[in-house]
Amino acid sequence: MVTETTALRPRNRWLHPLTSGGLAPALPAVLYLVVFMVLPIGTLLLFGFVNIERGRIVSDSFTLQPMIAALNDPLVGRLMWRSFWVAAVSTLLTLVLAYPVAYVYGELRGIWRTVVLVAIISPLLTSALVRAYAWLVILGGRRGIVNQALLSTGIIDEPLRLLNTDLAVLIGMTQIHLPFMILPLLAVLAERDKRLEEASLNLGASRTRTFFKVTVPMSMPAITAGLALVFAVSYTNFIVPQLLGGGSYSTLAVQVYEQTIVVLDWTRGAVLATLLLGTCFLFVFLIVSVGARLTRWTEARP
Amino acid sequence: MIRTRHSMAWIDRLGMAALVLVTAFALLLLVAPSLIVIAVSFEPRAYISFPPSGFTLRWYQTVLENRQLMDSVVVSLRTAALVMLICLLIGVPAAFASVRGRFPGKAALNAFLLSPQMMPGMVIGIASLFFGAYVAFRASNTMLVLSLSVFCLPFVIRITMARLAGLDARLDEASANLGAGALETFARVTFPQLAPALTAAAAFTFIEAFDNVTVALFTSDVRGRPLPVELYYLVQFDSSPVIAAISSLEIMLSFLVLLVIARTVGLDRLGR
Repeated sequence: MVTETTALRPRNRWLHPLTSGGLAPALPAVLYLVVFMVLPIGTLLLFGFVNIERGRIVSDSFTLQPMIAALNDPLVGRLMWRSFWVAAVSTLLTLVLAYPVAYVYGELRGIWRTVVLVAIISPLLTSALVRAYAWLVILGGRRGIVNQALLSTGIIDEPLRLLNTDLAVLIGMTQIHLPFMILPLLAVLAERDKRLEEASLNLGASRTRTFFKVTVPMSMPAITAGLALVFAVSYTNFIVPQLLGGGSYSTLAVQVYEQTIVVLDWTRGAVLATLLLGTCFLFVFLIVSVGARLTRWTEARP
Repeated sequence: MIRTRHSMAWIDRLGMAALVLVTAFALLLLVAPSLIVIAVSFEPRAYISFPPSGFTLRWYQTVLENRQLMDSVVVSLRTAALVMLICLLIGVPAAFASVRGRFPGKAALNAFLLSPQMMPGMVIGIASLFFGAYVAFRASNTMLVLSLSVFCLPFVIRITMARLAGLDARLDEASANLGAGALETFARVTFPQLAPALTAAAAFTFIEAFDNVTVALFTSDVRGRPLPVELYYLVQFDSSPVIAAISSLEIMLSFLVLLVIARTVGLDRLGR
């Protein structure tokens, strides 16, 4: 029988390319990504090093000047620093909020699991713009919901300035990116081998000690994945800083948008986008390598 | 010296209480903003107030009567449908090669196919804008569809791969050995097993393309903007209940997608 199966294969290879195990089915996607992703990103990187006139490259105009100017610009340094700390703080906040959710989910059964899952996934499927708008409604000026509540209960006399602050940007980013942190943790914590924790408890460790010495190390790969993903999306988010930070609030990502779409200085836009992408990859790489160092178990499932 | 597992020290009780409290807070934080937006959309007065002072559907009527908004909804629906189609057409076969392929460099191929998810939407958008200008192709809704497909392709590939990895390839071989042709095997053996994943992938891609603003801001047409771009400009100057009404409609659409995913692959599979 076995020989018959193998004998039939060569005929099926042409009849059935999807299961034949060849590279061919992936070719359209590969080609598509080369034309519509690789070439465009190549163009983006190139545009930072040439003179552009009306979308065309002025011939023989290779120059490092825009990149050097950007690197020496103290404003770019300040924007990069703000992008970094806002993303870093917001990423840590998502971890602090997400870990308990994933852990408690692991203890839940039946309908409660579904309820929690809906709470996590429904925001993920809701437009980030709509959720930023929700925070505009909540934190907004005198008419904002927080101020309305505080004013009407007489806790404050003057509306608090909540919108257009670092705090508003941090709150918005943390909430919007929270599902990205919960999902990788959920996958690992929900199916963790509880016998490891029981062993720790039976050996006399307290629950708290077990949590920090067994559960957390066991989920380290998921923590790393979550941190890397949330940091990357926070660092490059320009919608939240623009809407919740206000007109004069800028980060590196906001500047990339402004230079490209508002100022129409494409060379500077390309240089800043290159810096944004480069530093983003650098930070993600750092997170992943530190995470790999801290990982003791690479596989949490039995 | 074996301790009973149910005796909990005070610090453990405190820890457990903290976990539950933070969980409750996080879940509230996740859902409350959307619920507030929906509530605000029923406010009869022309400004935001919570809880709403009454109940009206007139902002929904305003949305439906707004020509510009409705045009942008049509643009977004068409864009999302086309992106979904492109991603399924090239993504599903790619997932087959990724899972069932037996050739050197498969890991590299997978990494490349999933690489768009490492690119921020903004970078894909700007890169497409520049590349389009370079090859003299104006920012238009065709470009929007092409660049959004790059952004969404990994979703289709990942969801299909996850399902495909759980299927038994020997079923296909059995079908072929029993004399079924390639088409028949695909139609009667492979496809029925794959259909739930494809439905989920299609729904997920549709909503991502429909809602996307980070790619769309750079590549969409100046006339005939998609809904998220239209909304992006509206939100900056106005926070009237009209926007809450559009937002509520978008939230309802996302619930529809949630239902589709729950009924096909299951919500707990989405994170893998």
